[in-house]
Amino acid sequence: MAIMKLAIILLVLSVLSQEAYSQNFERMRENMVRQQIQNRGIDHQATLRAMRNVERHLFVPRAQQRRAYDDGPQPIGYGQTISQPYIVAYMTQLVNPGPGHKVLEIGAGSGYQAAVLAEIVEKVYTIEIIPELGNQAKILLENLEYDNVEVIIGDGYFGHESEAPYDAIVVTAAAEYIPPPLVAQLKDGGKMIIPVGSPFLVQTLMLVEKQGDRITTKNLMPVRFVPFTRKE
Amino acid sequence: MPKRIYISVGLLSASIIAFQLTLMYLLSIIQWSHFAYMVISVALLGFGASGTLLALARNWFIRHIKIALPVLMMLTAVSMSLIMIISNTVFGSFDSYLLFVDRSQVLGLVITYFAFFVPFLFGAIAIGLVYIHYVKKIGGLYFADLIGSGIGGLLTLVLFWSFSPTQLPAVISTLPLLAGILLIPAGLKMKFTPLILAGLLMPIILFINPPRLPMSEYKGLSGALNLPDAEIVAERSSPYGQLSIVRSPALRYAPGLSLTFQGTVPVRDVIFNNGNWFGPVVEWSETDTSHFLDYTTNSLPYIIANPGDLLLLDAGTGLFAAHALTRGVENITAVEQNRIAVNMLKNELAGMIDSMYQDPSMNPVNLHPRSYLLKDDNLYDLIILPTSESFGGTSGINALEEQYTMTVEAMNEMWHRLTADGMISVTSWMDYPSRAPLKLLATLVETHENNSSLPAEDHIAAIRGWGTITFVLKKSPLNPDEIGRIRDFGNQMNFDPVLLPGIDQSERSVFNQLPDDDFFSHVDRIMSADRYRFYNEYDFNIRPATDNIPYFSQFLKLGRYGKMQEMFGQSTVPFLEIGYLIVLLTFIQITGAAVILIILPLFAIGWKGGGKLYTVLHFSGIGLGFMFIEIILIQQFILYFGNPIYAAAAVLSGMLICSGAGSLASGRFSKGRRGIVKVLALVIFFILIYTILLTPLLRLTINFPLTAKIFLSILFISPAAFFMGMPFPLGLRKLAELNDTLIPWAWGINGCLSVISTALATIIAVEAGYIWVMLIAALAYGLTLSANLIKN
Repeated sequence: MAIMKLAIILLVLSVLSQEAYSQNFERMRENMVRQQIQNRGIDHQATLRAMRNVERHLFVPRAQQRRAYDDGPQPIGYGQTISQPYIVAYMTQLVNPGPGHKVLEIGAGSGYQAAVLAEIVEKVYTIEIIPELGNQAKILLENLEYDNVEVIIGDGYFGHESEAPYDAIVVTAAAEYIPPPLVAQLKDGGKMIIPVGSPFLVQTLMLVEKQGDRITTKNLMPVRFVPFTRKE
Repeated sequence: MPKRIYISVGLLSASIIAFQLTLMYLLSIIQWSHFAYMVISVALLGFGASGTLLALARNWFIRHIKIALPVLMMLTAVSMSLIMIISNTVFGSFDSYLLFVDRSQVLGLVITYFAFFVPFLFGAIAIGLVYIHYVKKIGGLYFADLIGSGIGGLLTLVLFWSFSPTQLPAVISTLPLLAGILLIPAGLKMKFTPLILAGLLMPIILFINPPRLPMSEYKGLSGALNLPDAEIVAERSSPYGQLSIVRSPALRYAPGLSLTFQGTVPVRDVIFNNGNWFGPVVEWSETDTSHFLDYTTNSLPYIIANPGDLLLLDAGTGLFAAHALTRGVENITAVEQNRIAVNMLKNELAGMIDSMYQDPSMNPVNLHPRSYLLKDDNLYDLIILPTSESFGGTSGINALEEQYTMTVEAMNEMWHRLTADGMISVTSWMDYPSRAPLKLLATLVETHENNSSLPAEDHIAAIRGWGTITFVLKKSPLNPDEIGRIRDFGNQMNFDPVLLPGIDQSERSVFNQLPDDDFFSHVDRIMSADRYRFYNEYDFNIRPATDNIPYFSQFLKLGRYGKMQEMFGQSTVPFLEIGYLIVLLTFIQITGAAVILIILPLFAIGWKGGGKLYTVLHFSGIGLGFMFIEIILIQQFILYFGNPIYAAAAVLSGMLICSGAGSLASGRFSKGRRGIVKVLALVIFFILIYTILLTPLLRLTINFPLTAKIFLSILFISPAAFFMGMPFPLGLRKLAELNDTLIPWAWGINGCLSVISTALATIIAVEAGYIWVMLIAALAYGLTLSANLIKN
């Protein structure tokens, strides 16, 4: 009987602690949005809403969950990282996503950026070259009922021609070159955003814009540089 | 004293040097090379700590010396052989790259320090104990120590050629084991059997079945191996590093490719050296008439002219050579130091690829590029330097790399190797805030200014894509046809001209916009006579590198650190130029630890009393001075031999052996205070002579045959090294007469200061240049001299 009582107490404690954790994560997420994102000048309402909705801690390994809302990238295995929350928000704002848009992401990782985009746009195609990561992302996004995300395991170099052109392309795994197929699959007037540099050090963002045959690039401030704009 | 102690000390010293070099090699493969530098520096504090322990427990150690010596040597052996298993345990959860984002990794760092510290501590206690107990024989013992270290350095080279990196600790651990076995007292052999068996079995098992290398998942090689169907198709270990050739259907390389390129980026095998990117494996066929580099800013010199003779410096895997061949260049001299990589491309990989190294136009040269420039007297239509910095910026990771090919003196030599219309071309990745392209331009402008009275703006062209910028310095002025072709090329490729005679501001960011226009105003100031003021005003160090301060990739100005914190935020600034900051952090850590290690023994031996000031001054001075000179000589001889590995081996071994001879002669050479003073005065004299004459002498004889150069280098090194081997044994002998309880303390001080000196020499070289390192070495010996002038 004593064991039974103990088991019940433990069960109640575990339910309560999960509830407390969940509330804690919600608070941490709200703080993340306010302190790391809004304070740094992100004002795209749909992006802010998406960052509040997507449970970032579910996209990092269990051992990392307490640090999921920290102001930095987190390792997710296979040499990959989930980007700093601010970078995810900044990249999302820069491609100006909206309802009815179709977005291609290169480098699904754990699926976090795809989930953020999926909160805003009609359809997200995300390609992951590492099968283990891609499959994990696929299962997680399905469990979270993101029906508008399609995870494709494959080489991002080729993009996803069958669904092209895209309103926006988000490249989260950048190389020293921009694959020509991606430029070709960008819609006229579309935007492509690419982070350049080590996620652990200083990254810059590059925005590629396509207007007819004319393709231009814009290098943006290194993202670690953006200082907090404290509210008076 | 048993004679075999000399052999044991020699074997132990050889193993410690070999182990240190092996750890450096292993950690560079597993983790980030600056991290390797930091860990090894802290681990070497084992020498300082050994002095502290010996000072605190001197009597106990002396009472048990017959048992303690073999046990300590065998423990050194066991801890060396176990290092790979410990590494796997530690690095299983620790990654130096994660230190930036995860504070819990600091604990892993501390455990790592300790794991690597232990073998050095055991070994150093053993050597220190021998010195304390047999101080009357110090001349011979120090000789054995130095000769052993010298031979250990050479032995490591042989081992690097012969074994895989993971087998090396096991092989090296047999040396201290043998040293320990030699000293087992006759009646106690049976009692030592378990330790001997453990010491023997472990290296055998670990040699036959070496543990895997726990490489960081953030290293380039790990990333490549995560790609689908990736495999290592060839691997080769040598003193040049561990080369791995990776094949995957998803490995492609086209740096800075124009967005107008509509072809297919070819799949390439890639060579990694110590887990870091080295270059793509280049295939080439005579039918190739175009190359993807035609769609990059690297094409700029070929838009200006059709060069016939090309010199490629730091040619790597030959990517630029393949481009040149498709451009119809007739003669290509490709200078690359890493002969193992070139041999692999020429021979072993020739079956897998159509190696362009078989082409008759190719003339591969295995030398340091700068040594080649000093020896060569041919003229070239085009000289291409390797791409500066890397994609996304390096955040100062290469800050401490001596880049003798990127100094003003090197560029001057290149200028003299150009034909009348010849060009120097160099590409850099763009960075923000701008550093590398500005320093590159400053170097080219100063080169032009040094060699021509004509305005530089007529001789320099620069074109910028989305990620790269290419500069061309032309010996003759750019003519209107050439300028027109450059503009057309930019329009075709979506590249913007940055520098052209008669350029308009509006042309500079048509296709590729920057966060602000500061870059262009900075470029204009460098082109103007105002550039020297600009060097001072700019927040980063963009003053051209020189042979005296050859750190092209070091951009951090310590004096501006506070201002940068205000501009970019406190948490951001360390990430801008992290490489140099790691050295500063290493220096702070080891200095802090050294101060504690030096002060602790005073609680046992007392704070007051005769000989303490002498001990501190004498042994600090030689600890600093000896290492300073060793480091500088290695730097100087890199260019002389054209090869950093052989330079290090020649200098290190030559110096240690000559110093050993000096130590041996020290007993007879000088007695009393006058003798030490004379020796120290001679050391200072030779250092000052080196400061003035070494560089010109080496330049003068660089074209001599190798055997003559080896002979000359021994001739250069031996006089100073011979006398530098004397102050340590002379100082210990003096302490033995004065107060022998200070001997372990002196050993610890010497150890601590030797470790501090490596980081300090780097900092002085970066901030003030090599000449100052030499002068401060002379000052350090002056400190030792002053200690001997004080009456004790």
